[in-house]
Parts: sequence; C-alpha cells; structure tokens
Amino acid sequence: MAVDTLASAPGQAPARRRMTRLAKVLQRSAATLIALGSSAGLLALWEIAVRAGWLNALFLPPPSKTLVTLWRMIQDHHLLWHAGVSILRVWSAFVLAAVMAVPIGLAMGAFRNVAAALEPIVDFIRYLPVPALVPLSIIWFGVGEETKIFLLWLGTFFQLVLLVADDMRRVPRDYIEIAYTLGARPWQMLTDVAFRAMLPSLFDNLRITLGWCWTYLIIAEIVAADSGLGFLIWTARRYMNTAEVMAGVVAIGLIGLVTDQLLRRLHRRLFRYL
Amino acid sequence: MAAPYLVFDGIAKRFDTVEVVARTFDLAVRRNEFVVFLGPSGCGKTTLMRMVGGLETASEGRITIDGEPAGRPGRDRGMVCQSYAAFPWLTVAQNVAFGMRYRLDLKPARKRERLDHYLDLVGLAEFRDTYPNRISGGMRQRVAIARTLAAGSEILLMDEPFGALDALRREGLQLELRRIQRQDAKTIIFVTHDVEEAVFLADRIIVFSRRPARKLHEIDVASVLGAERTLEQRDGPDFFRLRTEVLHLVRAAAGDER
Repeated sequence: MAVDTLASAPGQAPARRRMTRLAKVLQRSAATLIALGSSAGLLALWEIAVRAGWLNALFLPPPSKTLVTLWRMIQDHHLLWHAGVSILRVWSAFVLAAVMAVPIGLAMGAFRNVAAALEPIVDFIRYLPVPALVPLSIIWFGVGEETKIFLLWLGTFFQLVLLVADDMRRVPRDYIEIAYTLGARPWQMLTDVAFRAMLPSLFDNLRITLGWCWTYLIIAEIVAADSGLGFLIWTARRYMNTAEVMAGVVAIGLIGLVTDQLLRRLHRRLFRYL
Repeated sequence: MAAPYLVFDGIAKRFDTVEVVARTFDLAVRRNEFVVFLGPSGCGKTTLMRMVGGLETASEGRITIDGEPAGRPGRDRGMVCQSYAAFPWLTVAQNVAFGMRYRLDLKPARKRERLDHYLDLVGLAEFRDTYPNRISGGMRQRVAIARTLAAGSEILLMDEPFGALDALRREGLQLELRRIQRQDAKTIIFVTHDVEEAVFLADRIIVFSRRPARKLHEIDVASVLGAERTLEQRDGPDFFRLRTEVLHLVRAAAGDER
C-alpha cells in the first residue's frame, strides 16, 4: 500500500516521536517558568516600592500584607463562603445565559429570517450598559438573588447570542452541503454537523464570556447584596481598609486565573483532534 | 437506447448579471451512465453539477430525475467536493459511518459490514481510529469519498475528487469508481479538467467552453473503450487516440474566446 501519510504510522520512528514529545514538555515547562518568574518579579517590585516608601502603604498595601489579610479574612470573615456565593451566582447566571443563547444563536446563524427578526433587538440591548439597568432591575426584582442573576444574564446573553451566530456562519459550507446530501434534515444538520464543527470556538467564547460575568457580578453585589466578594470589598472600603479591599480583589483574580486555566486544559482535552 | 433518467432541460444560470451557464444547456443522462464534464477551471461546469444536487438553483429551465424535479438536496444524490471535507471531530471510521447515519433501513450489523468494506476499498482500514488532522490531504479526501459511497446514493456528483491524490492512488480509485459504478449501477456526473482521467472514466464526455459554460462537444467514449475499463487499456492505441482527440478539442475550447 502506498502510504502517503504526513504523520508517522503507528510503530514508525518511535525515537523521533519521543524526542518531539520531550521537546514539547520542555517548551511547556519553560513557558511555565517564565510565567511564574515574571509574576514573582512584579510582586517583588511592588513589595520593595512600598517598603522603601515610594508608595503609600495606606493606599497600596504590599503583597505580603495583602496575603496575610487574605488569610485572616478566610478565618474571620468567611471569605471562602462569600467567594462560594459569588461563584455560584456567576455560574448559575452564566449557565442560564449559555443554555438560552446557544440554540438561539445557532438558529440566527443558520436561518436568515431568524437573524432578520432578532438582530435589531439583540443589537439594541447589547449596547445598553448593564449598570444603567440596575435601578430598573431593583424595581422589578427587589434586592434578592433574582436581581443579580438578571443583571449577569443581561450582560452575557445578548453578547453570546451574536458570538454563537457568528460561529455558526463560519462553519464551512462544504460540511453543511455534505450533511444535506447524506440525507440530514435541517435540524439534524444543525445538531450533528454545524454544532459539532463550531464547538471548539463556542467553548472559547463561553470561556471569555464567563470572565465578563465577574464584572457584572461585582456591580450587582456592590449595589444590592449582603454577601459575596463584591459585598466584602465594598464593606472594607467604608472603613478605608485597603488591605481587605486588595485581598478581595486578589481573591477574584485568583478565581479567574484558576477557572481560566482549568477551562483551557479542558479545551485541549476535549478537542484533541484540532 | 434506454430512457433518459437525469435531464437538464433548458438550463441557464446567472449570478446577478454575470452569465455562468449560457442559455440554454440541454443534456439527457441515462441511468447508470458515467458522464464527465470536462472544461477549463471556473467555466461553470461545477455549477451545473451542483444544480443536480439541489445546492444551486437554475435561473432558467429545470432538472428532472426520473421525470421528477430534482428539488432540495437529499441522500439520493451524494456529493464529493474538491476540498478535504472529512469532519475533523470524527475518526476515519466514524466519518465513513456518518455516511450511513441517516440510513434507517440498514441494520447495525449491515452498517458495520459496509463500513469495513468501504474502509478497505479506499485503503484506510488501518487508520480507522485516527483523526483527520493526523493524515494527509489525499487520505482525507479518500475518507470523504468512502463516506459518500457508504451512503449509497443512486446518483454521485463528484467535483474533481481525485485532484489531491498521488498518481498511483488516483489510478487505483479511478478503477474502483468505475467498478462500483458498474456493480452498484450508479449514475455519475464527474467534473474534471484532466483529459486523461476523463477518457479513462467516462461513458460520455461533455466538453465545455470557457465561462459562460456552453456544451461544445459530446464524445461517446463507451462505444470505443467499452464498459469494462482496465489499466491495460490505458496503454492501448484506442485510448491514446481518443485522449489526443479530446485534448485537441479542449485546447481549441480554451483558446476559443481568448
């Protein structure tokens, strides 16, 4: 058989493959080292700047104090519980938005009439800044959980719809035509082919949109909440406790970092075929 | 002569004001006939083929199959396109099996048999669990071909499907395609600009002009080379003579409106 493969066949040239794998591991650990190094360098610079008196510790507490405060807040202020509340709010609103946005975006991307019907509304609401709708949502839903979920949903759903619709439009036309000539009905083409084809970029868009949720969450928690990281930060501000404010901000950053890294890893695992 | 099966009836096609298929194109294809559309790249022959698949609509005229309008795309008209359209998220075997996904008439055991058969046919059995990103363009194209064959369409529409393959593999698949067409009684519209390929595969060749596409010549290959095609024929005088003849026609067609 004439093997015209680019990749090596199973069992072929194992030595070379092992080499490239090793090179890849080295490359990856080098990147990790650089990432850690640059972060540590920045933190050190910040620490030195405060200790040397170039920066006022009252306004910008050094990393060491922020970390100590973070630890104290975990013990005394139930920081982890507040963080959990915030995470739960973000995820429930986000899942709600995603579950609604994906089918609607798919339909908009696939069918011109659906797009024509929905695009003006979506575009209009998409441009409304979420904070502008805080008063209205408090009037509608009070200051309970509904307000927060609504605001987060508002901030992500409409963006997501358009992103999904764009992803759908980028599915290669050949895939869609092949699906039809293999006997797929339009909805089968959508679920079996178009959705699968766009899944990797959809996953990425969801990951990025999840980050936006945090922005809206803090706004919602500052305005109307007695729990959550936004509430903690806002309370600390009242007493000019900058270390606690910083600690709250760092907690959000850490949650974001961990979530994003986990999702990236999941992306690599799910879409190995790319 | 058998009754016409697939009929192009007074077809013309314009994209906005640009004429793609000159008015009017008429052609009657018999059942189980292998027709090759031969012409310069971008002349509009692919557009005509896509009309059969329901992927393009005619500005004038209509296409009928067994007297019924061709209409929307469906499994009765399978297509293999020029790009390597193997689905990247499925393995080689899953891709080929996808061709039978909407065949509710086939039992799972029968599907497995067919899967193995078509994987063997395109020489990809040992790559069944590999994803398309790990194999070459030519192999991906073979996956796409096997997928369409597995679907078992009556009519096959093929748009330069072997363009990406090396000479040996190309020859092998040409032979196979010809055999499948005879054995499973397929009607095939095959688009190419390769004269040698056209002569080897076709029962009948339609030579097209430059855009807008016009039918310039019809060459009855079957009456010269017969229905059975072998590699030996390729070296024979009949094949050589016919190929040269067609080549001259194509050259003249390309120079036609220069």
